[in-house]
Amino acid sequence: MPRPVDLTRVTFIIMREMRRPIMALLVVYSFSILGMTLIPGSINEHGVENEKMSIFHAFYFMTYTATTTGFGEIPYAFSDAQRFWAIICLYTSVVIWVYAIGAIVRLLQNPFFVRALEEWKFSRSVNRIASDYFILCGFGDTGSVLARGLNEYRTPCVIIDENEERIKALHLRNYNVPMPGLYADASVPKHLLEAGVTRSNCKAIIAITNNEEVNLKISTTARVLNPNIEIITMSKLEDVEDTLANLGGEVHVVDPFKTFAQVLAATMHNAGFYALNRWLIQNKKGTIGSYIKPPLGKWVICGYGRMGSEVARVLTKYGVDTTIIDPDARHVNEHENYIVGRPTSKTLDEAKINEAVGIVASTSDDGHNLGILLNARHSNPNLFTITRQNHHYNEVTFAATKTNIIMQPTLVTAQKILFLLIAPLLKSFFAYLLENKVGRAREMERVIETLKNTIGDKTPYLTSLHFTHEKSKAVIQWLNRGETVFLGDLLRNPDNRNRALEVVVFVIKSGDQTIVLPDHNYRIKEDDEVLFCSTKLGEHLFHAIVNNEYKLHYTQNGTFLPRSWAAKTLANFMKKRASKQKTN
Amino acid sequence: MNLEKVIFGFFIVLALTLNFSFFLGEIGNLKHHNVFELFMVIVVNLIATILKLGDRSQIGAVLLATSLVADLQLIMAATYWTFAEHITGTGVTSEVIAGIVSLSGGALLANIISAVILVSETLMSRL
Repeated sequence: MPRPVDLTRVTFIIMREMRRPIMALLVVYSFSILGMTLIPGSINEHGVENEKMSIFHAFYFMTYTATTTGFGEIPYAFSDAQRFWAIICLYTSVVIWVYAIGAIVRLLQNPFFVRALEEWKFSRSVNRIASDYFILCGFGDTGSVLARGLNEYRTPCVIIDENEERIKALHLRNYNVPMPGLYADASVPKHLLEAGVTRSNCKAIIAITNNEEVNLKISTTARVLNPNIEIITMSKLEDVEDTLANLGGEVHVVDPFKTFAQVLAATMHNAGFYALNRWLIQNKKGTIGSYIKPPLGKWVICGYGRMGSEVARVLTKYGVDTTIIDPDARHVNEHENYIVGRPTSKTLDEAKINEAVGIVASTSDDGHNLGILLNARHSNPNLFTITRQNHHYNEVTFAATKTNIIMQPTLVTAQKILFLLIAPLLKSFFAYLLENKVGRAREMERVIETLKNTIGDKTPYLTSLHFTHEKSKAVIQWLNRGETVFLGDLLRNPDNRNRALEVVVFVIKSGDQTIVLPDHNYRIKEDDEVLFCSTKLGEHLFHAIVNNEYKLHYTQNGTFLPRSWAAKTLANFMKKRASKQKTN
Repeated sequence: MNLEKVIFGFFIVLALTLNFSFFLGEIGNLKHHNVFELFMVIVVNLIATILKLGDRSQIGAVLLATSLVADLQLIMAATYWTFAEHITGTGVTSEVIAGIVSLSGGALLANIISAVILVSETLMSRL
């Protein structure tokens, strides 16, 4: 077990640095006070010498003299000898004060001390997080979208970024849950320890810095320090992915282009999927129930990079005829219709854009992508369009083009990671819906219809709940008494059980079994895991039911459980009398 | 020989000896207890405390604790003296001086512990 970060370091630095100035102050003060008390006083009007200053008065005098307040001569007017000593005291003590304050300021300005203080504050706020949390390394476009999403789901997150500006920006954000941030190199093990990588409530580490090597190092360090932690990272290189896959434990490598290819394939397969997916990730523009179907026919793909090649693969799989335009001649043998050259109106004409049904603008430059889009539409206004938007700040321009599908790599990555963290069961739900079997398309339409009726225009929330004692106290108590809990009864409104909650259950995982769209007669077992989609209110009420035995009793039986001692006694009495009457 | 160790030992032992000489004498008799001696005891004790600051070892922590105890007791004694002399106006009667001396006796005990720790640590490092 590695040792936790030494939190007392900062206190020791302060103590050690302050030793000299405090010592100097003490010596000067005591010397001055002692001198003051030994010097004879002045002669008063009766010709008698005033008594010498007491230690108390001398201390009082020094207190206001050294701080240059100057209340005058007490308790009697000073003798000249006392005045002479007072001059010496004043100058030395003021100089010593300046020195002491200077030492404190110097310490506060020392970059190493500031750094130690930052780390101390950071790891203190990490240690205060009591609920489950994640570590996020890299707070770029993707990281900030992800942090916003986690905040929406009230999940704390610890953020490390190498860029100081990003962390300053983080401190200004208004999050509802603790999101402590540290600007540091996350691949240094010390910083991961400060971020609490070894704590038992740290569930996952997300390594999404811009540097591939750093991500790999963070992943391996985290795995060594904590064998149970879930690792989520990004990678473009095959051999890095292999290394990551063999780290052991739960490791996810997110590739936005592969994820997008999967979504595109699913959309080709089932027209409702794109809208459903967008709606679930709380995209304001995504309305559920709008069906997007990329047309079959001839497609032109501009840019054969990571996105272009993935899209080409998917389209070819669905029997679509594609033409590639890319200035890079290296891949010319990988595809039969490959035009080498920049995507201009000339090359677009060469690719017979006027006969095409769709265009994919997938270069890594936003300006080029917009240009391609406008050129292609000029020759053929009815094209189905897919564009790649590389930078978040170009959002307004891309939205104005009214493209059918916009692919933002940062957004896709953030949403994929959010799903992995918040709703890991969603994958099996989607896999079930998209399976190539008879009736699945109908089932998807039914799901969309149900979601539309239950949640509609409200913001959807995906929630995973584990039926354990901590997360659902009432249900477990109920089960331990040997009673059965039906899933359907958990979905009743605790104010009126004949009304349904705004909750749609997607998946229940029970042991090794995964039940998609479970029946209302499903009997809950301990350790089941459920994934549901609901409104914010629905989620609150669901949590209330599974944790509060009175609410659970009502939704199960329709009667109210007596709460107070008096009510319980009365209920018992009534029950006894009723049974007695029966026997009579 | 290390100059820092000499200064450190000097102040700890001086704190103990001064404290003892203030404590020595008839408990209720003002003539046996000098106010300047109390002043010096406090100053030397504070110096000893500052010297102990910033030591991260276990022994350093215990030494600091004993010093803080002595400071607390001595400052209480001095405050008591000041109150009797200047604020309540009763003057330093034999009851007051008895209270002050007994407080300094408590500080003496803390200083003895501190000196014992110092000596035993030195002996251990000699072995």
